[in-house]
Amino acid sequence: MSSKTKRALTVAGVVVMTGGLLVGCGSSSSSTSTGSTNTTSNSSGGSSAGKKVTITWAIGSITHDNLNQQLVAGFEKAHPNITVKIQPEASNTDTTRQQLTTAIGAGATTPDVYLGDVVWPAQFGSNNLAQPLNKLFPQSFWNRFSPGLVQGATYNNNIYAAPFFVDTAFLFYRKDLLKKAGLPVPTTWEQLQSDAQTLQKKNLVKYGFIWQGDSYEGLTCDFTEYLADAGGQVLNSSGQPVLSSAAGNKAVSFMRSLITSGVTPNAVTTDQENQSMNLFEQGQVAFLRNWSYAWTDSQSAAQSKVVGKVGVVVLPTFAGESKHYSSVGGWDLYVNPHSKNLQADETFIDWLTGPEAQKILVEHGELPTNAAVAKEASSIGKSPIFGLLPQVSYISRPSQSPNYPQLSQAIYSNINAALAGSASVSDALTKADSQMKSSSSNTGL
Amino acid sequence: MAAQVEKKRRRNVLLTRQRQAGIGMLLPGLIIICGITIFPIIYSIWMSLNNVSLTQNGYAMSFTGLSNFNAVIHASSFWHSTWFTFYYSVATVAAELIFGLLIALAINNVQKLKNLSIVVMLIPWSLITVISAQMWDYIYDGVYGVLNYIVVSLHLVSHPVTWLGTPVSAVSAMMIADIWKTTPFVVIIILAGLQMIPNEFYEAARMDGANSWQVFWHIIFPQLRGSIALAGLFRILQAFGVFDLPFVLTNGGPGTATQSLAMLGEKVLFQDLHFGTGSAVAVATVLIVLIISLVFLSAFRSLVTEGEAQ
Amino acid sequence: MIQPMWRKVVGYVVLILFLLMILLPFYWMFVTAFKPDTEIAAYPPHFIPQHPTFSHFKQAFVQYNFWPFIRNSIIVSLISTFLVLLFGSMAGFSLARLPIPGRTGIMVALLVISMFPAIAVVSPLYVLLKSLGWLNTYQALIVPYTAFNMPFAIWILRNYFLQVPGALFEAASVDGASVFRTFYQIFLPMTTPGLFTAAVFTFVACWTEFLFALVFNSSNAMRTIPVGIALFSGQYSVPYGTIFAGSLVAVVPIIILVIIFRKWIVSGLTQGAVKG
Repeated sequence: MSSKTKRALTVAGVVVMTGGLLVGCGSSSSSTSTGSTNTTSNSSGGSSAGKKVTITWAIGSITHDNLNQQLVAGFEKAHPNITVKIQPEASNTDTTRQQLTTAIGAGATTPDVYLGDVVWPAQFGSNNLAQPLNKLFPQSFWNRFSPGLVQGATYNNNIYAAPFFVDTAFLFYRKDLLKKAGLPVPTTWEQLQSDAQTLQKKNLVKYGFIWQGDSYEGLTCDFTEYLADAGGQVLNSSGQPVLSSAAGNKAVSFMRSLITSGVTPNAVTTDQENQSMNLFEQGQVAFLRNWSYAWTDSQSAAQSKVVGKVGVVVLPTFAGESKHYSSVGGWDLYVNPHSKNLQADETFIDWLTGPEAQKILVEHGELPTNAAVAKEASSIGKSPIFGLLPQVSYISRPSQSPNYPQLSQAIYSNINAALAGSASVSDALTKADSQMKSSSSNTGL
Repeated sequence: MAAQVEKKRRRNVLLTRQRQAGIGMLLPGLIIICGITIFPIIYSIWMSLNNVSLTQNGYAMSFTGLSNFNAVIHASSFWHSTWFTFYYSVATVAAELIFGLLIALAINNVQKLKNLSIVVMLIPWSLITVISAQMWDYIYDGVYGVLNYIVVSLHLVSHPVTWLGTPVSAVSAMMIADIWKTTPFVVIIILAGLQMIPNEFYEAARMDGANSWQVFWHIIFPQLRGSIALAGLFRILQAFGVFDLPFVLTNGGPGTATQSLAMLGEKVLFQDLHFGTGSAVAVATVLIVLIISLVFLSAFRSLVTEGEAQ
Repeated sequence: MIQPMWRKVVGYVVLILFLLMILLPFYWMFVTAFKPDTEIAAYPPHFIPQHPTFSHFKQAFVQYNFWPFIRNSIIVSLISTFLVLLFGSMAGFSLARLPIPGRTGIMVALLVISMFPAIAVVSPLYVLLKSLGWLNTYQALIVPYTAFNMPFAIWILRNYFLQVPGALFEAASVDGASVFRTFYQIFLPMTTPGLFTAAVFTFVACWTEFLFALVFNSSNAMRTIPVGIALFSGQYSVPYGTIFAGSLVAVVPIIILVIIFRKWIVSGLTQGAVKG
């Protein structure tokens, strides 16, 4: 490069840079709280009468029917001056999280209200991606929820989300096949494995047991259940990762043995809820680990070939254990801090967590968060899952850290490698521990 | 004499005018390019030296010096991604160049089907990578993928394989998808290069009794060297930024076996929202790209001069 | 030169195999778009749809509303292409025909810049666009697309301008025509093929770009085709039918472009690769 060109380029660069810097300086303004601290609390529509507003609600398809439309229709009937536009979310929690972090981090004003995973409050709260709802709602609002739920949506003394529905995992099974083979419903993992092998040997079904083994958040949920059944935990009481333990080994070795014994297809290492659900609905597998929605879905003739042949029980546990664990799953309602319609958002969330909407959820086989509705759920809901709840023990993922996404990735990516056979069980666990340790250093790597 | 001077003066005026016009026509383009590429890279370096956090309506920066780079250098995920990206780029581009060269040599003298094959070869090139990734995702599917059906039918394996489920097969699957998309493009470039070799060259070689191999080695290859090297450099650098293919096909899995540098950067920046460390990853990527370019360019220069000396 | 027969035969065999290798995956995508869901997830797969259906096209465009993705892609790609041609042709002309100081240096710098991976600048651009309030707008993509595709366009166009005889330029300047007039009245019409070549390259690059589009325009209404398809997840567990139906519609216009402009694309490829 000749010196003259260099000079020309430098000049051009400087011109652009100063222009850019002028713009740039305006951007790194430190935050000024816009916390609109209105605290209207009446549940009869907080928005001023007559003014029409439209809000956008980002929501995935919770159940594969018209649940979302039904909720919106019900709300619009109760609050004719607010229109709700549905913005579809992706079917897996990680993709949805990525879309929301980029869009809201970019200052997008829509969606106004979005459905988010129960493990997000820490990350979203610490990065200004969610409006603190305790500034929006009065103290009394939070009394409607079942105990413990609000705690899970709290980070740094702010409540960042309103619990919408609870997710519990169950074992779904093919009643007809078990009957043919004369087998009882399995209550232990070992029994499940041998039952599945029996069914496969008798050529009653192609695969035995399907679950979620892809390298994503769902695998953290599945793994946490086996770990809890084996008596282990992810972090010890002082917050140190302790996966490299006898329990951790037992859990992963069992998951891997499901694959090596042919009970679970190899493809499980690339399966999420959708793929596993599809396999079950196509009649190709005898047992399925999935969330509550699977009951409603499996009974819908539009996509399911196993209508009327499905039974559901609590997830098995390891032989000799008494507790049947399920991960605490579920989805909360968050408010975009850049939303222009905070009052309408508040009205909407108030309605969605109120009795009418929560009953609609129950009718679709989802577990309500509203304590009053939860009490009578088993009498209004058709799904057999409501009757099973007393037998379930819950285990939470350690989502209280803003770096939970990395923590979880340390778990699922290494467990996934062990399941695929590309890492030994003990190596995978050691690596998961060390990556979890470094994830707390707040670098994102 | 006076006329001479006058002529010279007019010429100078003309030159100055042309230069001014030229700079005037060049600057808008250059300003846009520098503004969107060079300035952001410099800003990237600045961000990588800061701890950046999202606030209500912007960012807060606090200077931390080299601590982000320290974190990057000590992160196994960074080195893993660097290594994966590097061998993925080199392997796919090498395969593309070798296949491309062999196919181009084989079909160089085909007369019919010319137009049709050019169009067919350009289809993968113009196909959106995300679409071709979805296409391969379906082909590779572990339960109902057509690839499993083919290899099982041919008795190459006994059970359907989860192609994207183990590191080795997932990386290979990704490479195949990339090779499928880009080889035709390389074939076109090499074919065009072959067209440029005058027939007399071949004639002369045949007169000297050279066999096919000697013709290739002494005549064809020296003529093609330049375009192959340049195509290779372009492709390697393109492959180094690979993002869309693993994003759709494997999401970086199994584990993190197919997590490229661009994916790692995007994850740290936009999913985990660590803008400081994320920028450090980006800056490190730029450095690697620069090093590769420099090494390649100096090698390329000697290649060209060597070619001319012959 | 006379070819022995066997060489021709080998040539045709290799060519046909190669074309088949290219087309088969493509064929698979094509037929999948017309299969009902049960057939898409069937194993063994059917190579010809048993019950062809257009329902996936209906799903893609009625239920999931793919049109906005296609519209956004068209707007962004067309405007970026136009801007690249506008600024790129001027820059290419002055680098080819005018006494600019340090031409080689600029050309090398352009070459280096055009090779930077997008991830290198995505975070500062994000911050910059955010502070301008431009995220989730068309210009959020148009500006970077224009800048990133211009260097290559300048290279291509410069080569075309060099092919126009220099005597024309001399003549025009003796006649006292201004430099700019010479450029757009004499040179531009003579390099139309070059403009088309650069246009097709730029358009395809914008049409297929993913990372910027994913990060800058992630809101549902502003997504381009690649983002829409990458993040698509339908209601059902096997979304391939809908994805491929939408993809086919996005692929067809480009294939038509390629068929029309194939000669220029090939010449553009070789121009850019050989001369420097």
